[in-house]
Amino acid sequence: MKLTAFTRLILVLAVTAWVFLLPVPAVATILALELVILLYIKRDRMTMAAIGTLTVFTAMMVVLQLLFGSKLYVALTGGLRMFVMTTAFLCLLASTKIQDIAQALVEKFHMPYEYAFMLTTALRFVPDFLSDSAITLDAQSCRGYSNRGNALKRLFAYLAVVKPLVMRAVAKSDTLALSMELKGFGPNTYRNRRPMKLGLGDYLMLLITIILCTYPLWSKKVGL
Amino acid sequence: MSEIALRLTDFYYAYPNSDIMLKDISLTVEKGSFTAIAGPSGAGKTTLCRAMTGIVPYYYGGRYAGTVEVLGEEIRGKKISDIAMHVGIMLDDYESQMVSLTAGEEISFSLLNHGFSPDEVDARVHEALNDVGLPDRENYQLDELSGGQRQRLLLASVLATRPDVLILDEPVSAMDPDGARSLYQLVNRIHKDHDMTVVVVEHDLNYLLPYMSHMVLMDHGEIAISGTYEEAARKAYHHPTLCGNLPELWQLKLGLEEKNGIALGSWRYEEEAIAELQKHFRGGARE
Repeated sequence: MKLTAFTRLILVLAVTAWVFLLPVPAVATILALELVILLYIKRDRMTMAAIGTLTVFTAMMVVLQLLFGSKLYVALTGGLRMFVMTTAFLCLLASTKIQDIAQALVEKFHMPYEYAFMLTTALRFVPDFLSDSAITLDAQSCRGYSNRGNALKRLFAYLAVVKPLVMRAVAKSDTLALSMELKGFGPNTYRNRRPMKLGLGDYLMLLITIILCTYPLWSKKVGL
Repeated sequence: MSEIALRLTDFYYAYPNSDIMLKDISLTVEKGSFTAIAGPSGAGKTTLCRAMTGIVPYYYGGRYAGTVEVLGEEIRGKKISDIAMHVGIMLDDYESQMVSLTAGEEISFSLLNHGFSPDEVDARVHEALNDVGLPDRENYQLDELSGGQRQRLLLASVLATRPDVLILDEPVSAMDPDGARSLYQLVNRIHKDHDMTVVVVEHDLNYLLPYMSHMVLMDHGEIAISGTYEEAARKAYHHPTLCGNLPELWQLKLGLEEKNGIALGSWRYEEEAIAELQKHFRGGARE
């Protein structure tokens, strides 16, 4: 079942609501589902690292809550909620092209096109920035840069890498801005694309989402 | 329609808070020509390219005088994105000129912004990728392409708008000699196939010798020499500083002509030169 980026975004937002609306066993079921989906979509090192980092972060949050006097049940539930919400975003990013997310945000959520474009452009320049930083680091190492010594010393020494990197990033952004101007960047950037059409799967998923979001309203009536 | 692709008349320009960068530029680029612009660093070559596309003064600001005409129409008051539909430019920092995540999106970006329908965009993307020798790469991520392929992709994104004039600002500065020759072969094929006017800024004119029909040599913000290639090369040979910009083959040819009082052919390839030299100087002596 192929879902549009719009439906996926709605689902992520809905999961954020469900973790507060649904009972804990249901939230735990959602987490299990999310993990299955995430590992089905992407089973690479980065995904594993993301899940690992998230687990550590959640554990830290639980410990902090306990230290501040929360009960174990409350702390665990809080950690579970955060884990489920973040995993939903991971699923979205793993399964959907950022360009489609940007288009959905502009077309369906009426986000200003400049902000949506920033999302895709930031991603476009991450590899360039990483490669520039490696080149700068090598170049400055040849000139005597060293990251030895205490933290403060290393921080100051790192300025030798940061300064040229920032200058290069500024120069690149200047060229990018000129390029966008030459290419006529404006509201048409998203307006003239093929419109996002919702299919049967999207409507079905949106219906399920609405039913689950209204759980507190009907659950009491049916005696759940 | 005018037979002149670009015309700059008495053009002067200074970037904001800077000295005059271009002085008294009067230049005509004929339709269908292949013009090379060369000169020492800081001579104003890049600024001249930018003036041809309206980037200076309309994007960067600054002081200017004189006029720039594209296809017979003055560009004053026009948006640079509209000018770019007629005069496509590839900037020297081509990596930063790319704005999208995939090859197809990179090419379609400009077309969508100018209101082309999605079907027309798809057709043009396909054609442009074929033109630059990257067929069926629409869904490739930019980081899946090599440096040379990215450059070709950017060329495709400019070609997709079907401009009348193509301007390339030092396109091979970061390439190895084989890659550079291959890119210029491609540019020449596009120039011939689409009858496109081409203007190239290039330090090493050896690459452009087989293709250029006109040459412009700049020095200190002024056009020192311009004209058809042969005419300009003969003038440049006697210029105290610009003769070094000439292709090596022509430095040799003009030197031999001057020393021996002979007229040699208009060499464009080494093979032509070897054949003619063997004819004239067989056995180490002039025949």
